[in-house]
Amino acid sequence: MPGQENRRTFLRELGISAAAVPFIWNLPSLGFANQTQRKQRLVVMFSPNGVVPNTFWPDEEGADFSLKESLKPLAPFQDRTLILNGVCDRVRGDGDNHMRGIGCLLTGIELFAGNIQGGSHTPAGWASGISIDQEIKNYLQRNEATRTRFGSLEFGVLVPDKADTWTRMVYSGPNKPVTPIDNAYQMFRKLYGDRKDRENLSSVLDGLQDDLDRLSHQLSAQDRHLLDEQATFVREIEQELQSSDDTVSDHPLPELEPGIREQNDNMPAISKMQVDLMVNSFVNDFSRVASLQYTNSVGGARMRWLGVDEGHHSLSHKPDSNADAQDKLTRINHWFCEQLAYLTKRLAETPEPGGEGSLLDNTLIVWTNELGKGNSHTLNDIPFVLIGGGLDFAMGRSLKFPRVPHNRLLLSLAHGFGHTIEEFGNPDFCSDGPLSLT
Amino acid sequence: MQGCTRPSLSLLLLSVLLNPGVVPSAIATAEDSPPDGKTVYAEKCVRCHGMEGQGSEKVDAPLKGTLSISQLAKLVQETMPEDDPGSLTSEESKAVAHYLHGAFYSAIARDRNRPARVALARLTVRQHRQSLTDLIRSTAVAETSESAPGLQAKYAEGRGGGKDSQSLERIDPQVNFDFGQDPPVSEIEDPYEFTIHWKGSLLAPVSGEYEFCVRTEHATRLSINDEKIIDAWVKSGDDREYTTTVKLTGGRRYPLELGFTKAIQGVNKKQKRDQPPPPASIVLLWHPPGRVLEPIPTRYLTTVPGPVSYVCSTAFPPDDRSYGWERGTNISKEWDAATTHAAIQAAGYVDKHLNRLANTGDEDSERSEKVQRFSQEFVEAAFRRPLDESLRSLYIDQHFQEDQPLEVAIRRVVIMTLKSPRFLFREIDNIGDDYDIASRLSFGLWDSIPDETLLTTAAAGTLSDPNELRRQAERMLEDPRAKRKLRGFLMAWVKCSDPIDLEKHLEHFPEFDAATMSDLQTSLELFLDDIIASEAADFRELLTSEKLFVNQRLAQFYNDVASENQQFTLVRSEETSRSGILTHPYLMARFSHGSESSPIHRGVFLARGMLGQRLRPPRDAVAPLAPDLHPELTTRERVTLQTAAAHCMTCHAIINPLGFTLEEFDAVGRYREKDRNKPVDSRGNYLTQQGDEVAFEGPRDLARFLATSDEAHQAFVEQLFHHLVQQPIRAFGSSKLSELHEVFRQEEFHIRKLAVEIMVASTPVKRETKVVATSD
Repeated sequence: MPGQENRRTFLRELGISAAAVPFIWNLPSLGFANQTQRKQRLVVMFSPNGVVPNTFWPDEEGADFSLKESLKPLAPFQDRTLILNGVCDRVRGDGDNHMRGIGCLLTGIELFAGNIQGGSHTPAGWASGISIDQEIKNYLQRNEATRTRFGSLEFGVLVPDKADTWTRMVYSGPNKPVTPIDNAYQMFRKLYGDRKDRENLSSVLDGLQDDLDRLSHQLSAQDRHLLDEQATFVREIEQELQSSDDTVSDHPLPELEPGIREQNDNMPAISKMQVDLMVNSFVNDFSRVASLQYTNSVGGARMRWLGVDEGHHSLSHKPDSNADAQDKLTRINHWFCEQLAYLTKRLAETPEPGGEGSLLDNTLIVWTNELGKGNSHTLNDIPFVLIGGGLDFAMGRSLKFPRVPHNRLLLSLAHGFGHTIEEFGNPDFCSDGPLSLT
Repeated sequence: MQGCTRPSLSLLLLSVLLNPGVVPSAIATAEDSPPDGKTVYAEKCVRCHGMEGQGSEKVDAPLKGTLSISQLAKLVQETMPEDDPGSLTSEESKAVAHYLHGAFYSAIARDRNRPARVALARLTVRQHRQSLTDLIRSTAVAETSESAPGLQAKYAEGRGGGKDSQSLERIDPQVNFDFGQDPPVSEIEDPYEFTIHWKGSLLAPVSGEYEFCVRTEHATRLSINDEKIIDAWVKSGDDREYTTTVKLTGGRRYPLELGFTKAIQGVNKKQKRDQPPPPASIVLLWHPPGRVLEPIPTRYLTTVPGPVSYVCSTAFPPDDRSYGWERGTNISKEWDAATTHAAIQAAGYVDKHLNRLANTGDEDSERSEKVQRFSQEFVEAAFRRPLDESLRSLYIDQHFQEDQPLEVAIRRVVIMTLKSPRFLFREIDNIGDDYDIASRLSFGLWDSIPDETLLTTAAAGTLSDPNELRRQAERMLEDPRAKRKLRGFLMAWVKCSDPIDLEKHLEHFPEFDAATMSDLQTSLELFLDDIIASEAADFRELLTSEKLFVNQRLAQFYNDVASENQQFTLVRSEETSRSGILTHPYLMARFSHGSESSPIHRGVFLARGMLGQRLRPPRDAVAPLAPDLHPELTTRERVTLQTAAAHCMTCHAIINPLGFTLEEFDAVGRYREKDRNKPVDSRGNYLTQQGDEVAFEGPRDLARFLATSDEAHQAFVEQLFHHLVQQPIRAFGSSKLSELHEVFRQEEFHIRKLAVEIMVASTPVKRETKVVATSD
């Protein structure tokens, strides 16, 4: 029976007339879809400029491993964590490594030739293919049981306000970069603006009714007829809002700290707001796919709250011999890992609405980066740290692969959702099929 | 059936003729003289029921109700006349029921018989959109007189902006360049890397969706109305064409910025130059609603950027136009839902741009006061009059008093204001004071709310002086909004305001393509604009001018005009009888079938539109005779044959001889001397209301007649009145039309002066109230 349900019959059973439906703008999903199959979610989190391998990669392989300094914040979730070493971005072509690093990261395919010159190599444009998160989103949106209001949400934290190859990770298709929303208030409006609109509209109706009554007395009988009709419409809006409020799920709106500007020093506050909004959007089942992009490829955040005054990108160019820089870079990555841990914690604490366990049980987070290591600009050993139970992967392990193309991991993500495509991105890197992670 | 004309066109013919409500339906068209209902009524019923069913001493209840004709006939048959029931034959009962039902019994008949009145009306959709745009604007940017047609262009070497780089500033009439492998201008030496910026404003002639397109091999970006709508500053892959769609409001100028760069972006490194420079070109095109994709013509571009303005993109249900003009005298649930949507959308925009609109900033210590001041200005502008204390508290203060963020308060102010009957309905206070006059004036001439000057004049209390009113109206006519409205009227007057499918049969007119059709519309619009903007603004010129606006394409297609110019120029038609709008190829094609001219469509247009004749719909639906069934007949002969029956000729005796005068112009408006190898006969005639028989030898005779005809003048005055005032002219007194006609004649048929006088004549006015006005 649940499979036969749809929103319209549901609304009808609640006794809401068809005329009311247009007023229930973008009514959040009520969580009755997909009762038989568990929900599955994917979050891709990005931080830039590579990592410090010594303080990042566990020495051990297998289930028995210890977290090093950069990954320490994940300790409470170590048994839910899967660390993949040896996964390499093998895509070449136009563009420097930072550009290809972010542009091919989720697309697994070359950049177009173009007019954007990097620090080395030839100029390039946008990626020539769709990114895996959008591929999975499209797959989920095709099926009514997994379709959600937004399909995917692209969060950002201090992404520079310019569109170029370094600032875009998500692609809805070839030459179609998706701009992440790095303003939490803007994201809030996108998610809950309709609810606010209803509140605002509702708040003015009594006053309007009074004014209509007052004006009505100044009119002739014939003219008054028109105004009476108008008064009826206003009353009907009130009733419609009432019934739509009754059907909207009662999850509280997230509270955002007001007045946080998009400034370097607000990065921690913005990060928290965006994570909170993301968790809330999952509670409301607004989307099953999300990404969270911190700054951009070559991003130059100055993490003064960690005592790091230098920009992230310039620090990442310092040689391995510069112990101070290595230490600072480790602290930077530790901080990013804390953000990941906060997201993980929030998901773990939040029960799955209408389902079993927590949000984390049904979500896979993938934390990644455009480079393996900043000062060498290598695209080998791209950091891929996976957390959560979204895709039936066997977690709580540290794995080391022999220089496998990352396209295979992208395939694993799709397959984890039941989307069993054989190729993704450049087919030359897909011949060995998805990485086996289960 | 090869020669069958398109059924859609025959339907069009019928829909033209089937304009309901013009003539009472109970006109006897008897041939075998069945009983005449009116006569029966007069003989048998009047003595008790009165001439109009109003009743008498014997019967005091008026004769009105909801029975159908046959129910009524049965009742009459069985019960009437009261002193001798059953004495009528069943034919007589039916006839009398038919008559009284149509004459005064039914609700429809009573409504028709009701004396005209100025009814309460809401804003029309057009007025709603225009008002929102005027309401939500920052302090007006004064249009300086130094603006020129075209765009301000800045050419620079490299990425531009470098202090040593060569550059050039000039005005480009259009953006349509192919630089090849060369530098774009002689001031720039480097053919490899250069950058160009164009800046100015774009006039949107009509409201609707505009497609914009930039074609270039290199990087480009386009902003319209301060929104970046094309961003291809990252040049990526082989894309050569960037397209996007934007909604714009008609009669408005929008800021436009276009960038082009051949320079490499990103990290500034010296590029290898071992290859010859790649070619460079750029074209900025648009596709306005109902037109074709073409480079944006110079006449829509000016060098001075217009103000950023708000565009309401809500879809509204269309307005009632059953009387031939837009009016807002009914409302519906869909309309109300659209106003809600529009209010919420506007509130979002105001919130987002609050600092600009309220002239403040996030750090401003007086932000709250400024936002409240803005709120007051906003509400007063929306209501078209100052707020009293109680309204101020209702619409503004209550939202600011609570512990609400400013953003919530302003959204509530905007939503409440735009949902208020004081915004949605015209002159709702019904005071008839200077503010009501200001509103009537601005909605009449601009389809929008009064501007500051008008409100200030209203506040001074001088608008009730007709001379001041006249001065204001004259000032307002200079505004683009008034020009748009007058042009809109003329397009409606020639029945060309709706999107019209001019498509013809390709085998007959292979070159009559979409571009030609679009050019024809431009040609017509330029012609109307030219006359209305001219010093004399002479109505008669619309009919008798021998000139036509053509560009090279039209000149090639229409062999009676010559032009080598890509742009439109005004040329005199050689050796033909072209005469103003009457023979304008756009109208000729519009009033034609797919391959043949249609004297009937043309005649109906002339009789109804130009001469104000009330024509009855045809008795039966009739498809035009297929030309191939009578290959030897000219169009004129074929039409004559088909409409020869007596019951046709009651109207076609008027229609056909008018339409025949335009037979020298074929289905695409090309001049012809022969039809079916016979010389075209373009003689025609018309019986005036005074009873004078007028004969015409072709269109110029007809034009001379119409230019001097009282009937044509009155029809024009009446239609312009309705277009501007949107209330029936009869509601303003039975002599209003003839008074305005007289003024029109005295003013040498000056159209703009007529518009002014119509505004003077229609203000001040108060709708009736149940209470007698105290001021009189």
